[in-house]
Amino acid sequence: MNPFPIAWASLRRNRFTAILFIAIVALTVALGIAISAQERALRLGSARAADKFDLIVAAPGSHNDVLFSTVYLDPSAVPLLDPAITRLLLEDDQADFVAPIGFGDAIGDAPVVGTTAAFVEHLSGGLAEGRVFTALDEAVVGALSPHAVGDQLEVSHGHGGATGTDADAAADAIAAGAAVPGGDGDHPTITITGRMQPTGTPWDRAVVVPIEYNWSAHGLGTGHRPGDSHIGPPFDPDSLPGLPAVVVKPVDVSAAYGLRGAYRTPQSTAFFPAEVLVELYALLGDATAIMSALTLAAQALVVAAILAGIVAILDLQRQQFAVLRALGASRGFVFATVWVYVAALIVTGAIAGLLLGWGFAAIVSELLANQTGVAMRAEIGSSEFRLVGALVALGLVLASLPAVLIYRRPVVDGLR
Amino acid sequence: MPGLPLAASGLRLAFAGEGIIDLPELTLAPGTLTALAGPSGSGKSTLLYLLSGLLRPDAGSVTWAGQDLARLGESQRDRWRRRHAGFIFQNFHLIEELSPLDNVLVPVWFDHVSATAARPRAIALLDQLEVPQRRAHVALLSRGEQQRVAIARALIGDPAVIFADEPTASLDAAAGQTVIAVLRDLALDQGRTVLVATHDAALRAQAGTTVLLEHGRTRHSEASA
Repeated sequence: MNPFPIAWASLRRNRFTAILFIAIVALTVALGIAISAQERALRLGSARAADKFDLIVAAPGSHNDVLFSTVYLDPSAVPLLDPAITRLLLEDDQADFVAPIGFGDAIGDAPVVGTTAAFVEHLSGGLAEGRVFTALDEAVVGALSPHAVGDQLEVSHGHGGATGTDADAAADAIAAGAAVPGGDGDHPTITITGRMQPTGTPWDRAVVVPIEYNWSAHGLGTGHRPGDSHIGPPFDPDSLPGLPAVVVKPVDVSAAYGLRGAYRTPQSTAFFPAEVLVELYALLGDATAIMSALTLAAQALVVAAILAGIVAILDLQRQQFAVLRALGASRGFVFATVWVYVAALIVTGAIAGLLLGWGFAAIVSELLANQTGVAMRAEIGSSEFRLVGALVALGLVLASLPAVLIYRRPVVDGLR
Repeated sequence: MPGLPLAASGLRLAFAGEGIIDLPELTLAPGTLTALAGPSGSGKSTLLYLLSGLLRPDAGSVTWAGQDLARLGESQRDRWRRRHAGFIFQNFHLIEELSPLDNVLVPVWFDHVSATAARPRAIALLDQLEVPQRRAHVALLSRGEQQRVAIARALIGDPAVIFADEPTASLDAAAGQTVIAVLRDLALDQGRTVLVATHDAALRAQAGTTVLLEHGRTRHSEASA
């Protein structure tokens, strides 16, 4: 048997209703897909961004705040880590390198972040262009920075407008450590010497300077003895200022856990970004699960409403089905025709919704990536296909309801 | 299977509130055009549905080639109609979204995925019945042409029995005449068994036999011509 020509004719007869039904199914599916795909994009993007930040040591307080300040360059007022702890870390042979991280300045909208050349190399996996800084007034830029190698730039105190929450408070927190007069305003012009490879983190838009620049610009010395103008470690243990965070690359996995345990002290905390993210994802996941359940329920309701509409429409066509029966069509043929009709609406709507949802998620990811600097790519994965598959399967099973209702009608009633 | 009579015997059906069919004996011979006449509500259509297996009688038999349609299951009766019967309606009941040719091919799709093999026959039928615009939508055809498409659809499976329910009632006189000539030809020249429920005197005039129903009972049966 071939129910398609007649099902197709029925679809064309009520084409506007059919398009409306398909659109409703598509939008409902798109909503579910977009939420699911976007949540994963956010999760993967943020996890990837934190990948190179092996172990973060900071003053006791909110891990979230430190994580957002350090990895996502979204500064908040974090207490400063006691220099005594930094000193211990610098001497710890479990650490491959110890990278101080400092904030507080900006060039235009771009944050200026202070750290060490070793961390730049680690984060970027080798520079895309130029060389890493070797002097206090040199800097490298992130892959997405508009500044070119060789540019000379004025640095201003405070955070760039792009970097969100509580920037001033963070700057003040750093400035609070600046007991030395003349701290603010002493920002020498810097020269860009290199460009990092894309990292998928907000660091891609940042200007990265030696931590010594950050300290000295805020009147905290250079971390070295007066007269010592070299950049990077070793630092002078007695000249170290307080720091919002230190990124530590442990020599191996056991060292990582060792260091994490050792620096959870009354004066400091140590954590893997992943452990903080896992907690955040759990919250995010709970929210997503609730939203997904709601959208799934909405989808089921939409399918049910559409089936009711379809029954009403097909009821208007009952004469056609009765005629088909009079012409010798089996009940199976009528069933198949109605089922194909309903299935076509649901499957078309689901596929359109899959594409539409992916489009939504791609747009939202792009906007979020622009806003946060965390590289995000919305992709349709197995969970989205499962979601659509579940809806389609439900639809195809439920499609047999109108099919059964229509095919059970006495033929003669339809002919009169 | 042309050449076999369709015979009803002791046929009874009570239908809710509307009356009763009570038909002791009726034999429709091959090569005859039989008119079923009577006032509205006399049971013409119901009898047509009984004889075509769309309805099952409370008692009695409808015999075709030794098979009693009244005892067959629904799907077997569907199959019987598919193989041996054609149906023509007052209001044609074509599928407007399909071309005339596809309308003729509709019964082929009941059994086959592809109607390609039946296309030449469908085209020939439309040609014989002088239906123009094979590709156009049926809605663009005149009413007379639409009824001829419906006749071609009834003939696609080369049925032995043709059931027609008021086939000329919604046509003008000229279009009606054409349809009457076609029905007469189906019976007398092609040897099919044709049963027509009709009010149309012109159609009755062409029928070999007219069965007059009143309240579901045969008032009289007369052989004209």
